Amino acid sequence: MGANLSPALQALVDKGLFERLPPTFSTFFFQQIQDWDLLFPAERTYHERLFALIDQSDPAVVAQLFEPLRQIEQKMGVNEKNWPRRHFTLEQVDFLNRSAQYAEWRQAVANIFARLDPLLEEETARNGHARLAVVIAPAELPVGPDRMWLRIRQHGTRIKLDPPEDIADYLPLLLTGDRLTAAAPPIGALYAQAKRDPYAAWMVESGGGLAKLAGNADSVVRLSYERLAAYRTRLMAEVRHMVEAQQVRGPRELLAKLKELKIHASEGDLSRDAILAEFARAVLLAGNGTLLINNTFVEWSTVQAVRRARPSVVVISFGIRNKIKPFTSLLIYADQDTSSPIPTQMDTLGTYVDLEIFYQYIWQEFEKYAEYRHNTAYLFVGEGMDELLAIGPADFPLLTATRPIKPAEVFSAMQGWMRL
Amino acid sequence: MLALTKRRFLQLAGLSIAHRILPSRLWAAVVRPPSARKVIIVTFGGGVRYAETFGPEGLRNIPRLVEMKPRGLFFQSSINSGVLSHYNSTASILTGNWQRVDDFGFQPPASPTIFEYYRKQTGADPMDAWTIATNKSFALIGSGADRALGQPYGANVVLPKQLLLEAVESVVKKNTDAGVANRENVLRHLEGILSEGYEGVGWTIFKAGRELDRTVRDTLTRGLIDYINGPEAPSSGDELTFFITREVMREFAPRLILVNFWDMDVAHWGSYSLYLQAITKTDRLTGMLWEEIQSNPNYKGNTTLLVLPELGRDGDINAANGFLNHRSGDDSCRKVWLLAMGAGVSPGEVERPVFHVDVAATAAELLGVRVGEIAGRPIREILS
Repeated sequence: MGANLSPALQALVDKGLFERLPPTFSTFFFQQIQDWDLLFPAERTYHERLFALIDQSDPAVVAQLFEPLRQIEQKMGVNEKNWPRRHFTLEQVDFLNRSAQYAEWRQAVANIFARLDPLLEEETARNGHARLAVVIAPAELPVGPDRMWLRIRQHGTRIKLDPPEDIADYLPLLLTGDRLTAAAPPIGALYAQAKRDPYAAWMVESGGGLAKLAGNADSVVRLSYERLAAYRTRLMAEVRHMVEAQQVRGPRELLAKLKELKIHASEGDLSRDAILAEFARAVLLAGNGTLLINNTFVEWSTVQAVRRARPSVVVISFGIRNKIKPFTSLLIYADQDTSSPIPTQMDTLGTYVDLEIFYQYIWQEFEKYAEYRHNTAYLFVGEGMDELLAIGPADFPLLTATRPIKPAEVFSAMQGWMRL
Repeated sequence: MLALTKRRFLQLAGLSIAHRILPSRLWAAVVRPPSARKVIIVTFGGGVRYAETFGPEGLRNIPRLVEMKPRGLFFQSSINSGVLSHYNSTASILTGNWQRVDDFGFQPPASPTIFEYYRKQTGADPMDAWTIATNKSFALIGSGADRALGQPYGANVVLPKQLLLEAVESVVKKNTDAGVANRENVLRHLEGILSEGYEGVGWTIFKAGRELDRTVRDTLTRGLIDYINGPEAPSSGDELTFFITREVMREFAPRLILVNFWDMDVAHWGSYSLYLQAITKTDRLTGMLWEEIQSNPNYKGNTTLLVLPELGRDGDINAANGFLNHRSGDDSCRKVWLLAMGAGVSPGEVERPVFHVDVAATAAELLGVRVGEIAGRPIREILS
């Protein structure tokens, strides 16, 4: 074991807990904890609690819990030879995907977690605290608030706003309580400073506006598609080179090589924190358009941050996606701007359609976890709009607003909600 | 007017070859008697969900299929019970057996394809069975690994998007005048690749050595020219797939064709609007293909068209990231639809589920050939 596991988890490994579990289950988790130093504190805690729960449970109950999975593994032909317990590889992923019993296997794993998760979540919910997510749509969207947030609006309340005269002050007032020129710290930075937790507050954005608002506040995680441009460009160039030079035979080899492409110090502040550096690499090379499309980066980064780091304050800001130029849609790892001299054009209507489904996915992702259920206030904001959508517990103060409120009052409500 | 535009274009591109600029009908192959049944299978490859197609909210994305549906036999559920990768899904459709080979197309299907059964039993000409696929990993999908059949009886496989990709990359690398914004640049490079050989782009063409047979090359080139001169700024692999399919139909009139559209897999990029646009484009191209079947004397009245998504995509609820992926195995991934049109098909709607593997068995019956041991069963509603 190369990783510096926590003493508690190391003790469980040493006493052979992983060997007693079905191989497809234990190998996956064993591989996850190999990168222990690159896991967020929330992930480490989850693994410790999960395996402590299994270890401390009645062995007969544990055996019964995993028996259906063992039976399916037998049918699949999983054995010690084709499934070494300490390496989870892409070949094993393939093996599972291609197995005739794959659907059954997935169901069996889901059944196990359906029994374990409620036990783990009970404790999480007992220790819950207020959380906040602000999701900002760009000012250029070609619709008004009546056409916004259509997939989720039934879960919340539309609240009238009284926007400032100068739209440049709209987000500063909402997120800092003051005008842009005041350079006041935003809600995320205030929370991170108060909690002294490096991963408690995140700002994820397409452009660089949020990062500017945060100024020198190092305590808040700042993830920006625009500010990662140098890293993105290098990643695209290196991947293109690998493929063109035929250094890789297929996706599996490509994935292994991609793991080596870490962010350089010159490419962004994220390089200073090994966990965040690996997070950015993994997000950009997920194979899901995060290198190419600003809002996909924002959405996937948020989903991953929620899933892995469980931050308490998250501010998410989308941008406008550019139109895909003729022919260049084929060049997955090429810079569209340099591949074609056709001027870059914004796709405002396309962006609107893209974001409508992303609001839903982001809200759903938060709500999957006990940390967020019943204690998170979600604000869906369109920059410059005179309405926002609030979803949250009944005691979130904005939900009872009876008159149009100013963005600075929204800030005060958030501040109060987070007890800052 | 169209011919003049084309002529002017070809002159500019240095491609002034008379037969290429004549209307396609004038140089089309000799019309064959419309006797034997023909089968064209169209896959909405890349995966598309019910929600964005025949779901209530999806109908707006598929106006052509909505228009075609009352004249066809619509199966509300076609189930993909196999591996939810593109290659294995389409290979299952073609073989009638759930395929579990390499997801990325590095292996042929494990069992024989309908192409092989058809060609071996009927002695059909090599130009009588084609796969034209936008998915560029489909190079080996035209024949299975069974040595008793295999490549000698397989389909010609053409991967137009791979050709386009090579050409566009070449233009970008050479940084020629206006780059890919200049259609002539792209066309020149496309032609260059066709002239130099085709193995580099993963194609299998049987009636040729390493150099493409002249007839085949001219046929494909006509498809390229139509594509480049298309009314919209060409940006789509599926459009090229359509134009080449149409030329193949006009020149060789094959009895069995798989057309794999795949642009909608842009969903992996995470843009819902681009995904919807790709669906609508595929819908339009499918409509144009149906028009071609209706107007081409070699196909009119004797062709059965089977249209189905190769797979769905993950549902919006509880999946890793909804429409972006297609591996969750939920209903949204597995349950799609099938639309049968044309010869022998009585209009209607069928509630009972059919399976993707049933397509090969049904195509075999339509073509009058026997298949070996396969999981799929002929769909009686199409055959009755």
